[in-house]
Amino acid sequence: MKTSPAPASVYRTAEGLGLWEHRGNVAAVGIGHSPTFRRWDGTPENSVGGISLLALRRAMDDAGVNPADIDGLVMDPSTTTGAFWPRGKPLPWEAINAYNRTDEPLDGITGLSADWILANMPELTGIEFTMYGMGCMSNAIVVAAQAIGDGRARTCLVLKSWHNLEGRYYQGGANAGNAIPGSSAIRSLWGTPACFGTAVQFAEYCRKYGKSHDMMAPFIENSRQNGLKFPEGYWAQHRPEEITPEDYEAARWIAKPANLFDNDMPIMVSAAYLFTTAESARHLKQKPVYVLNHATSRTRPRSLTPTLDEVEADTARTARKIYEGAGITADDLSFENMYDGFALFHQFHIEGLGYRGLKFGEALDFYQTDISISGPNPVSPSGGNIGCGRSRFWMHTDCIQQIQQRAGARQVTGVKPEVAVSGGPMPVGGNYMVWSATPG
Amino acid sequence: MILISFDIDGTLEEGDPPGILSMDFVREAKILGHFVGSCSDRPISAQRAMWARHGIEVDFAVSKHMLAEVKSQFPADVYYHIGDREDLDKRPAEQAGFEFLWPNEAMERPWLSCWLAGPRSRA
Repeated sequence: MKTSPAPASVYRTAEGLGLWEHRGNVAAVGIGHSPTFRRWDGTPENSVGGISLLALRRAMDDAGVNPADIDGLVMDPSTTTGAFWPRGKPLPWEAINAYNRTDEPLDGITGLSADWILANMPELTGIEFTMYGMGCMSNAIVVAAQAIGDGRARTCLVLKSWHNLEGRYYQGGANAGNAIPGSSAIRSLWGTPACFGTAVQFAEYCRKYGKSHDMMAPFIENSRQNGLKFPEGYWAQHRPEEITPEDYEAARWIAKPANLFDNDMPIMVSAAYLFTTAESARHLKQKPVYVLNHATSRTRPRSLTPTLDEVEADTARTARKIYEGAGITADDLSFENMYDGFALFHQFHIEGLGYRGLKFGEALDFYQTDISISGPNPVSPSGGNIGCGRSRFWMHTDCIQQIQQRAGARQVTGVKPEVAVSGGPMPVGGNYMVWSATPG
Repeated sequence: MILISFDIDGTLEEGDPPGILSMDFVREAKILGHFVGSCSDRPISAQRAMWARHGIEVDFAVSKHMLAEVKSQFPADVYYHIGDREDLDKRPAEQAGFEFLWPNEAMERPWLSCWLAGPRSRA
């Protein structure tokens, strides 16, 4: 079965589209997570393919769905942004040959195709629809939701996995060569750190609004505290370390004013969700979490790094699209779970949303108030990448779990979890989802 | 006096990934009367918690870029930093005026000869 990236027509990128035509007719039900690891240990079962199979099976089990009833698979074939198999290093044939392989030897090791998944999950006998949502779970769930709504699939697995190898992130692959085509030559080859663009925007933000980097400390502390209550997360599983304001302020700069703890840590992890129609969802094992809308930003900045003005204009535009398609306002949000990897752009997302009435320049003051899961204004209850490790999907899992009332120690208690928004990755360029306890 | 700074991840057995230096190795350095502590990218509170968990009373626990501050706070004849990274351990250690040791080199305990010779020879 040939699997292609989702066409542009899937995404709701424009304003003025009105209510999403499938509002409340699509639901997420099941969740499956693999264990996390800092790096691949070389074993087949802990390869990115191995942990993906585990996550997919757990999602079906969680929802109480027979694998034969799955007819759709949406996933991201890329499993890294910076950990590439080193040139000349012998291929890990023992792990490769432990599974049914495709023509690409590193499929299941440093990448993941739908063909590889289907070749290794013989129980998925009813698959009729496959599609790629590129880059993030945020993209994949949008593709899955639209596919369910359009009737292209009825019960669909959505998968996003990440691998990490020994050695330095972002040092291999194309970055190890002497030439890269396009603007990446300026961004990557002669290298600023990945967080540089966000650091520039944050520096301008602090200048414009009279804020300081230290004002981020409560957000970082809160994110890690929430992450340590996320049993699926890396820090909860392996290194239950808090980040206190003293820790944060003493951390070294990566690209001033972005420090070490404003960056997330690459890990190995896989997550899968089970999406289906609202009607089917009502008969499954977990409470349905309805999708009210999805929205996408494909805005192209004028230059290599978006300016603060461009960021603010785009996050505001994204919010209008989110609210319009869902038929809600900012006042309807029980909590927010926008992306945080890099931490210094989370405030761009939530100011654009107008979360709790925030205007541009106000989020860092807001962080000095009660933003905990027990307060009236929860910020990033998932803990995000800062709290759980790099996956770009903790916020989606958390939204589903919170609304299903099964977030455990992380369950929000200061608000009733009814409507939430999650998405990312970047403030300029991302995919967003509105979740609800009711179909609307 | 000798000061020994330990990186954690990839250096100490407690690290992520684990290194080859045991906590007993650190204890021994402490028993010999050296200034001992950690210089790591781990949160300072997590470094302190790690040492407390192992019952080792360290003289300092700092972030990776703070070796120069350690040197200014602790008067010693020789300063060692032990780590596993060229860019994040060796280079900053040498820039801060520390002698740098890879973990396998540290196993040789190069400070012992200095310590056995006594204070007069170190003057």
